This record gives sequence, C-alpha cells and structure tokens, in this order.
Amino acid sequence: MPRIKRGVTTRQKHKRLLDQAKGYRGRRKNTIRVARQAVEKAGQYAYRDRKVKKRNFRALWIQRINAAVRAEGITYSQFMHGAKLAGIELDRKVMADLAMNEAESFALIIKQAKDALPA
Amino acid sequence: MKALSKQTRSIKPAEVEKKWHIIDAEGLIVGRLATIVANILRGKHKPSFTPHVDCGDHVVIINADKVKFTGNKLGQKTYYKHTGHPGGIKGITAGKVLESRFPERVLEKAVERMIPRGPLGRQQMRALHLYNGTEHPHDGQKPEVLDVASMNRKNKAAQ
Repeated sequence: MPRIKRGVTTRQKHKRLLDQAKGYRGRRKNTIRVARQAVEKAGQYAYRDRKVKKRNFRALWIQRINAAVRAEGITYSQFMHGAKLAGIELDRKVMADLAMNEAESFALIIKQAKDALPA
Repeated sequence: MKALSKQTRSIKPAEVEKKWHIIDAEGLIVGRLATIVANILRGKHKPSFTPHVDCGDHVVIINADKVKFTGNKLGQKTYYKHTGHPGGIKGITAGKVLESRFPERVLEKAVERMIPRGPLGRQQMRALHLYNGTEHPHDGQKPEVLDVASMNRKNKAAQ
C-alpha cells in the first residue's frame, strides 16, 4: 500500500478556503484560522440576507408607491385600500415600477383606487 | 409602451434631476416645517426614490429666523453640547439661539436631526439653503414656491 501524505489534501483545502476569503481585510484574507471563521460567517450572512433582501425590496416599493400617491393627495394605506376595492390585483413591485417609469398609466390606477374609496 | 423591467431599478446619481424649492418660513412651526424639508432633501417625495443615492431636491428657505415654536419650547427646549472636559456639558435654549447672530441654526438643527447621519446625510444637508431675510442668491435656479402653511392648518402658528 502506498503511503498517503496529508499535507497535500490539507494544502488543497486551505487553498480553496483562502480563495473564498479573497478581498477580505487584514488577517482574514491570508491566515487560515481567521479566514475559515470569516468565510463561515459570510455564508451565514448570505443565507440570512437572501431573505432580508425580499423584505428590503418590498419596503422600497412601498416607499416609491407612497411618494407617487401622496402627490395625488392620498396616503399609501388609503391607496392600497382603494386598489383592493377597485379589484386591482397588481403587486407592489409592478406598481412601483409603473409609478417610476410610467407615471401616466399609474395616474389612472390612482384615479381608479380613489374613485373606489367610500367618500 | 416599453416593456416593464423585471428588476427594480435604482436611479443613478447622473440621472437625478435636482429641482429647487423655496419656502417662506415666516410664522411656520419649526418641527412641522423641518419634516417637510427633510423629506424633500432626501427625495422621499419622488417615485424614483433610491435610498443609497442623493436623489433629493434643493430647498431655499427665506425668513428662517422668523420660525415659531408651540408651547414653552422657546424657554425650555435646550440644545446640548459637550466640551469634552469633565462637567463640560453646556446648553443653550432655542429662544437664545433665535436671538443670537445665527437664528437660522434652529431650523438647520431641526432638519439635520431628521436626516440620517452619515456621508449621504451630510451631502443632502448641503442642498439646504437658509437665509434670514427675504434676500437669497438663488434666483438663477428659478426655485418653485412651496406653500407649507396651506398644507395643514397646524403648520402655521396661530396669531
């Protein structure tokens, strides 16, 4: 049986890990012990933030919709209520996109939502 | 009609259209005015609002020294600072600031404290132009008049 030297695999493992730690600051980029911790933590943040990203974007869409509807004299919550009554089923992502890039068509939606609100 | 984009777009700094607004602050309530100004400076009134880009407008405020407080804030509202030495906390009341050489600092402080602190916040504060009298050097920018008093009856101090 041939003799197996462990240094080879260890070096490969370390190399892969240090490659992942490229661009980190200080010792985190070139010391294996610290780099391993940093890469592990980075993975945890990435996992968490893939979920947080969805919330952040929803919040941004709401802020943009709010900006557009407030110019027409109603608040976001009134607008969403009116949109529901008017049977508008666009989601916030599309509405925010319309508000930003298609102001005329969004004005029609605001009008519909306004008309649907009980006076 | 152009197709809707699949991704939410951020506005780029070069695409930002900076408008100019002018507000006559005479008789207006400080905090109520400051919220309106802070929102405009941040760009939250635009459907293209992007949190990491300075997308706000310029705001010129004239008669910044003639703002009003409600209640007893003139004598009681105090701005604190610390000199760094032991026991070095100092305070000045809002009324004293209004009577000082720089009365516009009352409004400036109110707006500054409503804007997120950081490099972007400091950049946005630079778009705020305060003047004590009715004179201002921004006629060339053709600022649009913003009537804050008519937005809400509480915005202006009762006579």
